[in-house]
Amino acid sequence: MTESQESNSGATPLLEARGLTKDYGDTRALDSLDLAIAPGEVYCLLGPNGAGKTTTINLFLGFVAPSAGQALVSGLDVSTHDRESKRRLAYIPEQVMLYRNLSGIENLEYFAALGGQGSLGRKRLIEILGEAGLDAEAAGRRVSTYSKGMRQKVGIAIAIAKEADALLLDEPTSGLDPTASSEFSALVERLRNRGVAVLMATHDLFRAKDTGTRVGIMHYGRLVTELSTAEIGHADLERIYLEHVSDNGGRR
Amino acid sequence: MTARTVLKNEWRLLMADRPLKIALGLFVVLLGYALTNGVVWLRFQEHTVEATTNGNVERASALQQELEAIEAGGQPSSPFADPRSPRVLGGPSGSHTAVLAPGPLTALAIGQSDLLPYYYDVNIYTNESSFHQNGEVENPLNLMVGRFDLAFAVVYLLPLLILALSFNVLSEEREQGTLALTLSQPVAARSVATLKLAFRALVVAGIVLGVSLLGALATGGFGSPGRILLWSVTVVAYSLFWFALAAWVNALGRSSAWNATVLVGAWLVLVVVLPAAINAAAGLLHPLPSRVEMVTAQREASNDAVNRRSELLARYLEDHPEMAEGVVADEPGLGALSWAATDAVNGRLEEVAAEHDARRAEQTALVRRYRVLSPALLAQEALLDAAGTGDARFADFQSQVRAFAERWREFFVPAILADEQMNASVLPNVPRFGLADEESSDVVRRAAVPLAVLGGLVLLVSAGAGVGLGRVRGAD
Repeated sequence: MTESQESNSGATPLLEARGLTKDYGDTRALDSLDLAIAPGEVYCLLGPNGAGKTTTINLFLGFVAPSAGQALVSGLDVSTHDRESKRRLAYIPEQVMLYRNLSGIENLEYFAALGGQGSLGRKRLIEILGEAGLDAEAAGRRVSTYSKGMRQKVGIAIAIAKEADALLLDEPTSGLDPTASSEFSALVERLRNRGVAVLMATHDLFRAKDTGTRVGIMHYGRLVTELSTAEIGHADLERIYLEHVSDNGGRR
Repeated sequence: MTARTVLKNEWRLLMADRPLKIALGLFVVLLGYALTNGVVWLRFQEHTVEATTNGNVERASALQQELEAIEAGGQPSSPFADPRSPRVLGGPSGSHTAVLAPGPLTALAIGQSDLLPYYYDVNIYTNESSFHQNGEVENPLNLMVGRFDLAFAVVYLLPLLILALSFNVLSEEREQGTLALTLSQPVAARSVATLKLAFRALVVAGIVLGVSLLGALATGGFGSPGRILLWSVTVVAYSLFWFALAAWVNALGRSSAWNATVLVGAWLVLVVVLPAAINAAAGLLHPLPSRVEMVTAQREASNDAVNRRSELLARYLEDHPEMAEGVVADEPGLGALSWAATDAVNGRLEEVAAEHDARRAEQTALVRRYRVLSPALLAQEALLDAAGTGDARFADFQSQVRAFAERWREFFVPAILADEQMNASVLPNVPRFGLADEESSDVVRRAAVPLAVLGGLVLLVSAGAGVGLGRVRGAD
């Protein structure tokens, strides 16, 4: 357990799932998930496609309604406090899609204002984009000229500008080259150090071990095991993961 | 979220979207062309009205001069056109042209003004056949497809522009991925979609109303603020219907291509197919009698009347004792016999015209009953009424001309029957046509029905859109 974790272990969780369940017809996409993420924690959800990682994130965002249980953000039930919970959340999807005909600055200005930050001013916007790793020249260009990594940086900038309590990341490094992935992890680390609670769904075991403070392995909608990254090595994580997601150790 | 945030972003997106700017520019050009067409037609009508007004003055002046000359001992210019004869003074050479001035907003909507007569030469021979003829020679293509005026552009093209601007207002955001990022912010899809559509509505309404007001300003239409308000309200309500429909379709969560197909289909049905089907049904169920029937009836009645003039005169005097003062039925003059024949022909024509009018009334009733199915028909009716070029104003004008023709006959026929001669002193007493044009309040009252129905449709579709948008989440 890291120092940051130790200091926050008693704090009120910023992201919490209580028996969170989601059914799509006869299919149970998420089954009684219990989860609590404290300030300064990076919780990585691992699991194969269809394990329920994105469903979990969508439930925290209020994009889908739970069939049972609760998703709470800073203690607020997402189902009944949609706007208040979203004020405290930032979200970076697998593909950060922005308005292609607008510049990075204009996109940031718009989403920051939607997030409740009002008008930040061009200088501050460029500062935030710089903090996210995008230089001023690139920030002024149309997004249609951006690489995926640059769009992810704008996504991070939107999260920084929002000054959110919690950050939801849905496979954010998928498709990024190692350098961009590493830069991204560094940005997440910085947010973590500011006390932001991070929930990251990912397939990248290396990144999960490297960036996360805890990992949870999901399979067929259930959280099958939870580990502290401080207590395991990369090889251990891969072995444990494969043990849990193989079909004979899967559906229960 | 402030409305300003979304509106500002929409402005940026519009400014960065070249094809959309070109489409808007093209629409402005089309509106300008439509307005020019309207102004050209208005100037033509004004010229015609001026010519007919001058004609009235010149004819009256010429007759007065000739009558005074005859009274001073001169001779008539022609023995067959002696102005002292009431058949001449009240006939075609002394006729008075009743004119309907162009509607206050004719430049915006030509409407029925190129199809229905806006002036009639009234004399003692004016009868029902006179009301079924248009004195203008018109380009048949114009009559077939209607003129390209602002009302046409609003009813037919404006929905297409609105659909082009809004068919993908949410579906594109969903497809390009910005919807999820947007809805992860503390905003509701309904609010964002409404503001995005509101921006587009402001752009569209700004363009259409701007061109309309420009047209009204250039042609003196500002003298009728009530009509301009009615025009503007109709444009806004009709636009809102299409925006609401686009919002509803977007709320269904389907692809942009699907939205476009459904919305263009809706345009085709509501703007083209339904109005055409309703008109076709009206013509099929209540066909108008052929105009040839009226010509034939006139010819047959004329032949019959000439052969039975004495008998007809006796019947006429029996039916119209008020006209018979001083008439000796046993020794009727040529004028009296002739008038009896004319009246018999008129009577037969009235029978044919009554049948025509009854069928037309049935057609109108059918169209009015089913117009609620098409917002295009409702908007067109309100726009033409606002412009003063709708059916109702022409029907009112025709009704006043009929009454005027009756007064004209009442003035001249007793003198014809009595075989009297007239002189210059009667000229000031000859009836003159004065149009009692409809008041703005009449127009508003009449247009309230289609506008209320249109408003109802807007509310209905908006409610559907509101419910649908309320269900939109980031992970549809």
